[in-house]
Amino acid sequence: MAYKPQYCAGQTIVADNRRKQMDPAHKLEKLREVSDKDLVLIMGHRVPGSAYKSAHPPLAEQQEPACPVRKLVTATDGAKAGDRIRYIQFSDSMYNAPCHPYLRSYLEAYRFRGIDPGTLSGRQIVECRERDLEKYSRDLVNTELFDPALTGVRGCTVHGHSLRLDENGMMFDMLQRCILDKKSGIVKIVKDQVGVPLDGEVKVGKPMDAKWIKSHSTIYHSLVGTAYRDDAELVEYIQRIHSLRVKYGFMPKEA
Amino acid sequence: MTEATFPQCRISAERLLNPETTERLLNKLVEVPGIRRMLLNGQRIPGIIPYGPAKGLANPHPMRKTIKVGDQDVELQVHVGNVLLELESRDAIPALKAACESVFTDFTFRIQEGRYMKTEPSLVDYCKYGPNADKEMLGMADPSSKSKPVILQGIK
Repeated sequence: MAYKPQYCAGQTIVADNRRKQMDPAHKLEKLREVSDKDLVLIMGHRVPGSAYKSAHPPLAEQQEPACPVRKLVTATDGAKAGDRIRYIQFSDSMYNAPCHPYLRSYLEAYRFRGIDPGTLSGRQIVECRERDLEKYSRDLVNTELFDPALTGVRGCTVHGHSLRLDENGMMFDMLQRCILDKKSGIVKIVKDQVGVPLDGEVKVGKPMDAKWIKSHSTIYHSLVGTAYRDDAELVEYIQRIHSLRVKYGFMPKEA
Repeated sequence: MTEATFPQCRISAERLLNPETTERLLNKLVEVPGIRRMLLNGQRIPGIIPYGPAKGLANPHPMRKTIKVGDQDVELQVHVGNVLLELESRDAIPALKAACESVFTDFTFRIQEGRYMKTEPSLVDYCKYGPNADKEMLGMADPSSKSKPVILQGIK
């Protein structure tokens, strides 16, 4: 029988959402249309429309050594062109953001190629070739992985993920990179990810409503969502792993 | 130094407070007799970005405003998360609760009793203020801060 990955344990909606996001066969729901130009502006690595800077000549022009792995693995578009490595970094509020750092790294590893994700408690960075990054960031911003109020594209000064939301329902941002327009209810990004003001503003749509947020959350939270302890299967799984790790160190074998 | 006998309270709401809500809350609180000291706690919002690639640029932020409390202008430097209070006696707590209830209508809040302000000068306080520190200021601000407290005229 062919191996079928299970992605993660759990019986709650949170575990379901985690599995959906990690499963590359699941098509992520598209919720907004941020243009490629706007994404380039938000990331701030190059001027929209300008040429990609390169770190080395295109692979086709290089003398590559005879290497069986290079024959097996097709280079990504960015690698073929010799693009620089660039990044996008996200902060996800603990108050039911639709994605979170650990999950981001997992899902990116399942869905994307040629990436180097870095996972931290409150932020997650993914590095890759510039034109690959622009392609991947479309998925990261335009789909159900992103919420304008609870997710921030933040290259620095990222704190806010563990703080209470403000009265408007927005995650704290010391640099106020995005602003909620109270009249239209639309969130506008006014600074790039490192806090340099943009010439214009990038509209990323309305924050999702509370019902959607709760049904799409991938975070266990006993106060504002599903409690971790309510997921019996996940608790059992974690306890088993913990027990095996304690008993057998890094070579878990059941007696 | 703070007298250990003075009771202290912490007001924390479900959300971080907008300047308008903070203003309404503080204006209710100044009417309550028996508050000795008050401290607004929260995430700092600097006027100039202090680090990172945008270092040195102005940081316009809607949550950093000057509000009017009683007759005094108070410049908010933080996004207010908690309000710490030192009271003359516990008798003021019901009035505090009533003041909060009239302001926090859209979300929940709680008032906790405990010890939230510094009671002994730390080494850093000693370095900054020396042995004859103003006892009213201990625990009220970061010793490196140059800002001064706002004196609110109470109802006494």
